Amino acid sequence: MSQTSEAIREAYRPRRPGILQTLIETAREVASRRRLIVYLVRADLKKRGADTLLGNLWWILDPLLTMLVYVVLIAIIFQTKREAYPLFVFCAILPWKWFSSSIADAVTCITTRERIIKQVNFPKVVLPMAAAAGGVASFAFGLIPLFAMLIFLYGSHLTAWVLVLPLIALVQFVFTLGVTLLASAVTVFYRDVGNVATHFLRIWFYLSPALYGADQIAALTAKRPEIATIYNLNPFAALFESYRDIIYYGQAPEWGALGLVLGESVVLLVIAVLVFRRLEPAFAKVI
Amino acid sequence: MQPAIDVRLLGVRYNLRLTRRNTVRDSFKNMARRRTGPSHFWALRDVSFRVPPGESLAVIGPNGAGKSTLLQVLAGILQPDEGAIEVNGRISSLLTLGAGFDPELSGRDNILLAGAFMGIDHGDMVARMPGVIEFANLGQFIDAPIKTYSSGMNARLGFSIATAVEPDVLLLDEVLGTGDATFRAKSQARVVELMKAARAIVLVTHDMSWAREFCNHAVLLERGNVVAAGEPDDVVRIHEERSELRQRSITPEELQPIVDAGLEPVAGGPGRGSRGR
Repeated sequence: MSQTSEAIREAYRPRRPGILQTLIETAREVASRRRLIVYLVRADLKKRGADTLLGNLWWILDPLLTMLVYVVLIAIIFQTKREAYPLFVFCAILPWKWFSSSIADAVTCITTRERIIKQVNFPKVVLPMAAAAGGVASFAFGLIPLFAMLIFLYGSHLTAWVLVLPLIALVQFVFTLGVTLLASAVTVFYRDVGNVATHFLRIWFYLSPALYGADQIAALTAKRPEIATIYNLNPFAALFESYRDIIYYGQAPEWGALGLVLGESVVLLVIAVLVFRRLEPAFAKVI
Repeated sequence: MQPAIDVRLLGVRYNLRLTRRNTVRDSFKNMARRRTGPSHFWALRDVSFRVPPGESLAVIGPNGAGKSTLLQVLAGILQPDEGAIEVNGRISSLLTLGAGFDPELSGRDNILLAGAFMGIDHGDMVARMPGVIEFANLGQFIDAPIKTYSSGMNARLGFSIATAVEPDVLLLDEVLGTGDATFRAKSQARVVELMKAARAIVLVTHDMSWAREFCNHAVLLERGNVVAAGEPDDVVRIHEERSELRQRSITPEELQPIVDAGLEPVAGGPGRGSRGR
């Protein structure tokens, strides 16, 4: 190999696009392949509905049964003083189902598509996006029992503040998408992320104000404000409380806390896109 | 005239450490232990060639020479680690059959899903659906989940989907022996038809008669390098001589890689790999 070839080789060395260019390219790819995302989500929904006796009814039953478990545990066995506990806990179960099912899909979405990744060139970013979007579907179905409860059982809790729900869901979507992208890309290189995720999600749920209220945490940490600060770093502290504000308490959410989560989520999403795009070329080689 | 495919000093590197370790524990082990052996492996290096419009290139070579990797790069599935490639026109790759298949979905849904993966416009795919179904000859099974299909039915559906769209640039990787005799004849006819319509073809094959018959140019890949290029008859002859030596357990004399043949000076040349669509 002659010297000229080294020089030419250098001249043809591929360059990596800049940060802004990567973000724009990713947005363009997602826009051009939006139908693929729709297909993937629909395929996922179809699969879950098929082969079961009650079919799509499970989308509604699933969060209700989870709620029942916690109602038995907290309201009946632990005798909580909280009024309308089923509604209280349902406000957290519903968004959590969305988040946890998205993460569960994210850790498998790339590795299970091994064959197609090695055979067809397509933007891999659609796979975790479909995982995140699939979670939204489960959330949307869960709204049916939520509003049924609000209207028929807990009419006194129903206020116009419920209409803010899409806004809070949007904040959660940005956060979920960021985590989904990161989890899906890292799992390609470390398969044990999937095992860790299950346990990590469980601890995360119990550390978030889902089964209990943020007011209880505030009472516990009254003498140690720094612990409360750490506690509130968890985006789901603000998210659960916001859902609860508009559904259970019928009042405005804490806009400041919600805005902070949105800001953090946007930063996370940008980092996640950059990490994902940086790792993407290696997917076909590694899986 | 602008070439349909322009490949310059292409290099594709596999990171052996990355592909070997799959759990966190293994990577800790690797960190603790002194690393031995090479950390990466060049599946392709210094590969340059050009396919003008209307021409067809046969890529031949022994197993593990990098032929399939080359097709994956041309299809855009792998990114070059070195060098630049340019493909002008719509690419279709028949790399392996059964792409995009989701076992729980019906054949019909799979056709749409595969089309979406390949980036084919939805309306276009819907319009081509009857043709795909007819060619695959699946009858009423088209609405059954494809997990109920036999492997032959699967392969037939895969072939029909992959050949549904007439590409400008056709990449073929040894997919001609599919299904029963009837379907094999039908699929060969279809491939020949596509090859006639395509603007450019890259065919990876072990069947030298295909290289001779359908290609007007050939390259011989060995260990990731182009070691011979030219008329199919000549290149096939070199390959066959060397294969025969290998069969008699004689290692043939190593050929010098052809590195920058046909490359123009690159003063002010393109800096980054581009991909025309």
